[in-house]
Amino acid sequence: MADEKMLTGCSAAAQALKLAEVEVICSYPIRPYTAIMMELAKMVANGELDAEFVHGEGEHAQLSVVLGASACGARAVTGSAGVGVTYAFELYSPLAGGRYPVQMTIADRTLDPPGDFGSEHTDAMSVRDQGWIIGWASTPQEVFDNTLMGYRIGEDPRIMLPQMTCQDGYFISHIPDKVKVASLSQVKEFLPPYSAPHPISTTCPVSHGPQIRPDQGAPMDAQRAETFLELPGVIKEATKDFNRIFGRNYDPFLEKYRLEDAEIAFFIQGAHSNTCRMAVDALRKQGVKAGMSRLRWVRPWPTTEIAESLGHVKAIGTIETSTSYGGAMRGGNLIHELRASLYDLDERPLTTSFMAGLGGETVWLEDFEFMAKVLLQTVKDKRTSKYVYWIGFED
Amino acid sequence: MSKKLPEFGKINVPHDRSVPFGAITPAPVHQQDLFKTSNWRIVRPVIDNDKCTRCLTCYIACPDSCWSFNDEEEVMEWNAGFCKGCQICIHECPSDALSAVPELDFADGVDRLEKPF
Amino acid sequence: MKAFDYKFQHFDPVKSLKSAPKSEMYVPGHRTCAGCGPALNYRLVAKVAGRDTIFIGPTGCMYVANSSYLCTPYAVSWIHAQITNGGAVASGIEAAYKVLARKGKYDGPFPNIIVMAGDGGSVDIGLQAASAMMYRGHKVLFICYDNESYANTGIQTSPTTPYGANTTFTPPGKEIPEGKTLFPKDPPQLFIGGHPLLKYVATTSVAYPLDLMNKVRKALSYEGPTFLHMLTPCPKGWQFSEKLTIEMGKLAIETGMWSLYEWENGAYKYTHIPKKYKPVGEYMKHQGRFRHLKEEHIAKMQAFVDEKIQKVKAAAKPVEAVPAEPKKN
Repeated sequence: MADEKMLTGCSAAAQALKLAEVEVICSYPIRPYTAIMMELAKMVANGELDAEFVHGEGEHAQLSVVLGASACGARAVTGSAGVGVTYAFELYSPLAGGRYPVQMTIADRTLDPPGDFGSEHTDAMSVRDQGWIIGWASTPQEVFDNTLMGYRIGEDPRIMLPQMTCQDGYFISHIPDKVKVASLSQVKEFLPPYSAPHPISTTCPVSHGPQIRPDQGAPMDAQRAETFLELPGVIKEATKDFNRIFGRNYDPFLEKYRLEDAEIAFFIQGAHSNTCRMAVDALRKQGVKAGMSRLRWVRPWPTTEIAESLGHVKAIGTIETSTSYGGAMRGGNLIHELRASLYDLDERPLTTSFMAGLGGETVWLEDFEFMAKVLLQTVKDKRTSKYVYWIGFED
Repeated sequence: MSKKLPEFGKINVPHDRSVPFGAITPAPVHQQDLFKTSNWRIVRPVIDNDKCTRCLTCYIACPDSCWSFNDEEEVMEWNAGFCKGCQICIHECPSDALSAVPELDFADGVDRLEKPF
Repeated sequence: MKAFDYKFQHFDPVKSLKSAPKSEMYVPGHRTCAGCGPALNYRLVAKVAGRDTIFIGPTGCMYVANSSYLCTPYAVSWIHAQITNGGAVASGIEAAYKVLARKGKYDGPFPNIIVMAGDGGSVDIGLQAASAMMYRGHKVLFICYDNESYANTGIQTSPTTPYGANTTFTPPGKEIPEGKTLFPKDPPQLFIGGHPLLKYVATTSVAYPLDLMNKVRKALSYEGPTFLHMLTPCPKGWQFSEKLTIEMGKLAIETGMWSLYEWENGAYKYTHIPKKYKPVGEYMKHQGRFRHLKEEHIAKMQAFVDEKIQKVKAAAKPVEAVPAEPKKN
């Protein structure tokens, strides 16, 4: 049934998009996601994929092109990285609020200034407020899987929202790993065709997006908010189906690694979770009750699942591969929403955050050892002494 | 964990404030009744059918499509519901068949709409 | 790729006002100003484009004024675009229809895809998207309805605002007596010659409706990108009595401020060339936006227009305007 291949994250995304039979692709080159588009271009040129491959003139145009295509009922994909993601910013709300379920495949890159090809999550994280479904893969296999899940969830008639499927640049996008490439029949069983509810059509004319009054704004916003209340249920269904059809074992929201009896835990998303798992194993060998909670979808944020699965942990450290300058903890992004999720528990875990992997640097096992030491000290002291630690800069 | 976590609750948009899904509305067919502009005008064009040569200039000149040619009766017809009183038709008529008459001169003049939109 | 029949539409010329399609695809019921030139223009374009049409509406007067509130006057499908991306959204729609047709998901006539962008959305903030769309060769008609300002935001200068115009960003004052000091961009010239797949560019004026409608139909019959630069006088922005909209559209041509031409197969074809051009003052005197100008400024404008007239005379060959306009008494 499934073919196992050694694929980079970029190739995995392209293979999944081919099986999803995307119909309109809008490209623009920017490291490190370009390879996804290069592979799709070859497929189209060779007749392996019947799609319109549109050479966008920039990232803002890419998102505009797929908006138009999706409005007509075509399954559309685009992608970017780093400042490309931020250049397209104007379009994120129109796409989400207009309910056009396009997919944007992102291989992260640190934002300028100045140029830095290494991976940071800030690019896609900065889109958090716009109403997209956003999540990180931690392996090329998961890139492949999330690509298919993204369309299934986003195109669900109850949802109709665009998705960002993200992978760390270089670590996942460029390093090959084993990927079970599904068969077309499996994909067809999992992913129904896209059906726009009121497409731009000549037979049933509609107007997409007339001007509204200010008092119509709140009801308009409420539409997206309401959908995000329904979204976790749809993600659960889709993940269950995915696991069954493709033989995987995903938790819909959080990968829980040795978490059940953990006293300290790492809260992390993306590529460095692979090192984190090894660190957890090493700590366990030393007798430390360590665990890892890996976030799969940052939007919708799994508030309840976090409270339920991490409530018993004594000290949690977030690994922040993104920045939130001037934020409450003066560090990254995950710590804010983690704390908010745990706030209403009778007994709140202690939490702190670690800036790690910024700029695309490797996060080493030694770094996780340092973080564990901090967390263990936190447990001992029964208090958080610092909101944020900068890995590599601490003594 | 003994204390019950807060709920997300439901968002109850009142029916009279609801907005269509994705701000997608149906297209109008012959006219857009949700935006009548009859109460904009202070004059209306009145036609003298004897002077009118049926050249169709008024028909083609109106930004609001308020003139149309009635094929059966062979006269120009005016759409009272939408004419804004811009007077382009009066100005462009090559045979002086149109004149501007104050709205207040008409019994049905100054169409009062319940709300502006 | 092997040839596929997308069922592109073909149009006959409109021979007279009487024989023009009767159905309105841009219906009464919109919040545009009384006497709005762009609204009249939209109506004429929609009328001859017909039912199998999709309009893309970048933000501007022809978006906001038409679609207030949650209702539009478009009897055909229409989608809002950002002021920045009319060309790009249209490209996506065209691409979608092509692939949907190939896959058998759509089997009707290939729709007319028309961007109705203002001057800002065409040659200022929207220039990149317009150019890229033409370069890629999408079958889209890109229309620049030119009311010579960013009108919807309360009349600010745009790259097509004439020299000497009073706008809220170019107000005349002690230091800057003429108001606007810059001469405008020439939209057709931005696109002509530089985009290999762009084969047809034309200019129109609302004062010549048959000419306008036929150029729209001609453009829609091309299987690639086309561009129309359409003069749409704006009573509010130009500050003239709203009944003079069409007269302004005529005076513009009679003074040489605007020329009617087509560029097709690499050649220019001018029509409606005045035997004797009226002085620009005849046009400017009706418009409050020029009220503050002194003799020297008007002379500068005249010099600019004289240069344009020279170009017209050099390129023009005597051509019969087809089809004939209705005879006036």
